[in-house]
Amino acid sequence: MTWTQFITVTLNGLTLAALYFLVAVGFTLIFGLMRVVNLAHGSLYLFGGYVGWAAAERSGNWILGAVTAAAVAAVTGLALQQALLRPIQGQDLREALVTIGVSIVAADLMLAQWGGFTYGFSPPRSISGGARLPVLDIGYPKYRLFLLAFAVFVGLALWLLLTRTRLGITIRAAIDDRDMVSAVGINVQRLFALMFAFGAGLAGLAGVIGGSAFSIASGEDARYLLASLIVVIIGGMGSLPGTAVASLLVALVEQYSLALFPTYAAIVSFLLMVVVLALRPQGLFGRPA
Amino acid sequence: MSALASPRTMLTLLVVGLLATFPLWGSAYFVGRVFSPALFLGIAALSLAFLAGYGGMISLAQMTIFGLAGYGYGVLTVTHGQPWWVGVIGGLAAATLAAFLFGLVAVRTRGIYFLMITLALGMVVYALANQNRSIFGGHTGILGIRAPEVSGHLLTERALFYELCLAVALASYLGVRYLLRTPFGLTLQAVRDNPRRLAALGYHVALHRLAAFTFAGFLAACGGLLGVWYNGAISPTTIDVTRLINVLVMAVIGGLASVEGAFLGALAFVLVTNFASSFTERFNTVIGLTFLAIVLFSPEGLSGLVARPVELLRRQSRARQRARDELDELSVQQAIGHQDE
Repeated sequence: MTWTQFITVTLNGLTLAALYFLVAVGFTLIFGLMRVVNLAHGSLYLFGGYVGWAAAERSGNWILGAVTAAAVAAVTGLALQQALLRPIQGQDLREALVTIGVSIVAADLMLAQWGGFTYGFSPPRSISGGARLPVLDIGYPKYRLFLLAFAVFVGLALWLLLTRTRLGITIRAAIDDRDMVSAVGINVQRLFALMFAFGAGLAGLAGVIGGSAFSIASGEDARYLLASLIVVIIGGMGSLPGTAVASLLVALVEQYSLALFPTYAAIVSFLLMVVVLALRPQGLFGRPA
Repeated sequence: MSALASPRTMLTLLVVGLLATFPLWGSAYFVGRVFSPALFLGIAALSLAFLAGYGGMISLAQMTIFGLAGYGYGVLTVTHGQPWWVGVIGGLAAATLAAFLFGLVAVRTRGIYFLMITLALGMVVYALANQNRSIFGGHTGILGIRAPEVSGHLLTERALFYELCLAVALASYLGVRYLLRTPFGLTLQAVRDNPRRLAALGYHVALHRLAAFTFAGFLAACGGLLGVWYNGAISPTTIDVTRLINVLVMAVIGGLASVEGAFLGALAFVLVTNFASSFTERFNTVIGLTFLAIVLFSPEGLSGLVARPVELLRRQSRARQRARDELDELSVQQAIGHQDE
């Protein structure tokens, strides 16, 4: 691998990590707070992508598309949580099965609506096209750099929210001990609904953000569900720093192995998962269950 | 031979007899296109029902193991031109070994984590099969896989294949039922109920779960060989996430913890996919909604739907019996009272 190739692959890994982080962070926070494994998370990503594409196409405004995607996905997630998950709250396996059922139906209905075509976005001119990186002296798509910056921004904002605000403190307290938080008079149900809508909205937003870096097509739901699963298994369920570190690890390893031995790249993700699980079954940053 | 006369035994014999003679009186379509696939898919669902119901492990990797047996058979017989028996042994061995390795990774976790890890493992194998050309044949997979030929008969001839599927399914079913009554099976169920206590009693919890997972993998592999003969080809689509989940759907329709239900669920699944696809393109939606309805309203599945009224009737008749007994007692007491007067 030449130096330029190495830098490009590294940058690809970093930007992919940014996307994995955006998708997985909602998944892991929902789990951390409510113990719900939302296996329809990938469907929300894809749904957000399609809806965002339709909105952007109609209005000719990419930002409007992204906002619509986030809003629609958040409302969908909220409806899923309130209508289907709340009645069986606390039965974690049954909740996971319900989200599997939802993902089957969603995949089929989205295929009916949008077909098997591939959809592409056209982000605003200020963040599209190429850029010349100053020190490294190589060209790289501007949009990918935007993706990286956006993920860092979301990560920092979430971290500040969780550590510096009253809401964040409540959320962290609820992650540690739901019953106690409920006992001191905080409406935990509202917190759950808020978190579910937020996580779903982020997945929908990631659909547009990620779809603009790559593309949107049926089957992407499974791809990003797998990415979320591996990231949270490695990083530890419910941990924000764990999600960040695992996203980096998974995406970089994936990109390097794709560049070095393309046909065995999947085995490397597998080995990564095996090694982490062998050393720390609860994930890198997870707490023992 | 009083056991023979019990209604349960009679019913079992009747069902087995009907199933065994099915090719003689059933329509060719049902024998070849409905019951045969339902039987080999049922074996995969059985392996999941066994793990979920008696080991407390909901594995989403059963279809992956099913597919790996097919890949093993295909690679050996087509790519390397080996005779069929090498393919059978090699396919079973490769898939069982894969199950053992998956088990090593997953058995230390429980519940929802186990489900997630097996799902991720299955999806990783799919990605590998899709990327890798040299062994797995990439996106096309391996084509032109021929079933074994025994004394001039191809094993995929309709009636013959059906009987073969039935034999393997019966053997798997009886094997599971037998295993559950052995000390190993009882320990496994105890591990499901209280792993900590079992560990304290000196049992190796992870080893029991690993053994169960490997055994279930062997069952799925047997189903996988039949499946690859039936399809005559294997490709990554056989083990994609939809298929992984379909096995769960079958097991849930049949009642997740029920070994008989696994076949019932597979049959229902094959019927729905065959017939729903003739009047709607959205049969996956039909399947998904059925699945959702069962998970939400009848967690014991179809067998629960059957078992619940039976249980209700039984409870009612018991209550009636009790009421009658009480009445009898009352009249006896009254009679005694009368005598006393």
